Amino acid sequence: MIRRCLLLLVLLLPVRAMAQDLPLVAALSRNDIEVTTGFTGASLVVFGSTEQPIGPGGDEVLVVARGPTRPIVVRRKVAVAGVVWVNGPAARFPEVPGYYVIAGTRPAWQILPEEERQKNALGLDALPLTSTGARNPAFRAALLDLERRSGLWLEDAEPVQIEGARLFFVRLPLPAAVPTGEYQVEVLLVRSRRIVARQALEFRVERVGTADRVATVARGQPLLYGVACVLVAALAGWLGSILFRRG
Amino acid sequence: MQVYLPIAEMSVDAFVLMGIGFGVGWLSGLFGVGGGFLLTPLLILIGIPSPVAVASGANQTLGASVSGLIAQWRRGNVDAKMGSVLLAGGIVGSVLGVQLFALLRRAGQVDLAVSLFYVVVLGTVGGLMVMESVKAILRRRSATRRKLHEHYWAHGLPLKMRFRKSRLYISVVPPFLIGAGIGLLSAVMGVGGGFMLVPAMIYLLGMPTSVVIGTSLFQVVFVAANVTLLAALQLGTVDVLLTLLLLVGGVAGAQFGASMGTKLRGEETRALLGLLVLGVALSLLWGLLRPPESLFSSGPAL
Repeated sequence: MIRRCLLLLVLLLPVRAMAQDLPLVAALSRNDIEVTTGFTGASLVVFGSTEQPIGPGGDEVLVVARGPTRPIVVRRKVAVAGVVWVNGPAARFPEVPGYYVIAGTRPAWQILPEEERQKNALGLDALPLTSTGARNPAFRAALLDLERRSGLWLEDAEPVQIEGARLFFVRLPLPAAVPTGEYQVEVLLVRSRRIVARQALEFRVERVGTADRVATVARGQPLLYGVACVLVAALAGWLGSILFRRG
Repeated sequence: MQVYLPIAEMSVDAFVLMGIGFGVGWLSGLFGVGGGFLLTPLLILIGIPSPVAVASGANQTLGASVSGLIAQWRRGNVDAKMGSVLLAGGIVGSVLGVQLFALLRRAGQVDLAVSLFYVVVLGTVGGLMVMESVKAILRRRSATRRKLHEHYWAHGLPLKMRFRKSRLYISVVPPFLIGAGIGLLSAVMGVGGGFMLVPAMIYLLGMPTSVVIGTSLFQVVFVAANVTLLAALQLGTVDVLLTLLLLVGGVAGAQFGASMGTKLRGEETRALLGLLVLGVALSLLWGLLRPPESLFSSGPAL
């Protein structure tokens, strides 16, 4: 009896120790999103469990996903001579994440002090977007608006779901226009307005198959690609005229 | 059926593209032009980025014109010598055009430039076509034909050359300049330029109508090939999948249009084509004049 109790204790110990070390454990449902020629968008699930109960009155969970950054130019149209609308002043943002989704059991601004939220870039208005060129803050607002409309930037579109006060999960939608590259997902555990634990996860969005080969050749050997485009189009035109010839 | 375009980096409905290809091909078969001037604006309308629409439009024009060229060549309707002079100009023009396009893209004015080029060129060509064909329909008697040998300023230029098939002995400067102008336009607008080249050959160079279509196709095929190649090399904006989907519909449409075109009278066909060209020009003009829904637009920084 004593031996059995000891055995149980020994078996339980590492689990208990691990649980104490890790107040938060999270994982992704997939680590590779493959963009094929038939790609119409995908989604992945961030899930995990916590040591302390989460939900109303307990801890809170925040999930942030960031895609690869790229430089973006935002242009404002101006009416030349009051008639023709022409792209006028522009602001250049050198590092704009191509994908940004934040979700939480509650919105980040409700559960974290403003200072902490800005420091960790939690929320669209807290994104560190510096620009060169036109100084007007309207350019930043326009960038946020345009990216939000493209469906690639989401803030609290869906809350993080809680199951049994310990398990949480949230779905990250990846629309068809999702940029390829490395993505970082950060899961944060918030307790009494402080971040007490965080876990970083990663996934990749990559082109595969024909779409990938075409893009790779077009970028790596543009001359070869150009010649191939010319030949393919000529051949297709010639073949088509034979196939569809009437009379 | 959604298809992911690898260069445009977006997902579009393949049937929409094939439908656009078919419609444009049908019209181009009906009117005997490449149809690039309809295709590029339509692609931009469905959300394809302008640089990709222009480059892939040129690539599709090449494919769509090849079969016509082969048919005309067999019938001996191609003045290869005249075509080569036009082509020499066309290559110079398209090289310049691609440089101009790259410059406009860096300046962020591609959309404006493409629209402006379309409004001016299509407005002029469409207006002239409608006027000319309305006159012809009203008169309905083609008594006032041109003389076989009309002499005008171009005959005083140096570097004269004999073009046997066209029955002309003229300087190479006018055809070279016409070729260059149309090459430049095809690089900026993503069109073959057949709808401009055909009237230019008839009215400016005085070429006989029988060899005009074949010779213009000769120039269009090679200039479109050059634009495709340069765009792939310098801009990286040719989407071969987009081109192929458009060609699938386009080649089928062209054959149906061509068989229907034989049933229409010449002046009526030209009046309809003129109206179509004018319509495209006016809708693009409206796009430039109308206050934009959103003042701001974003794009990749180059």
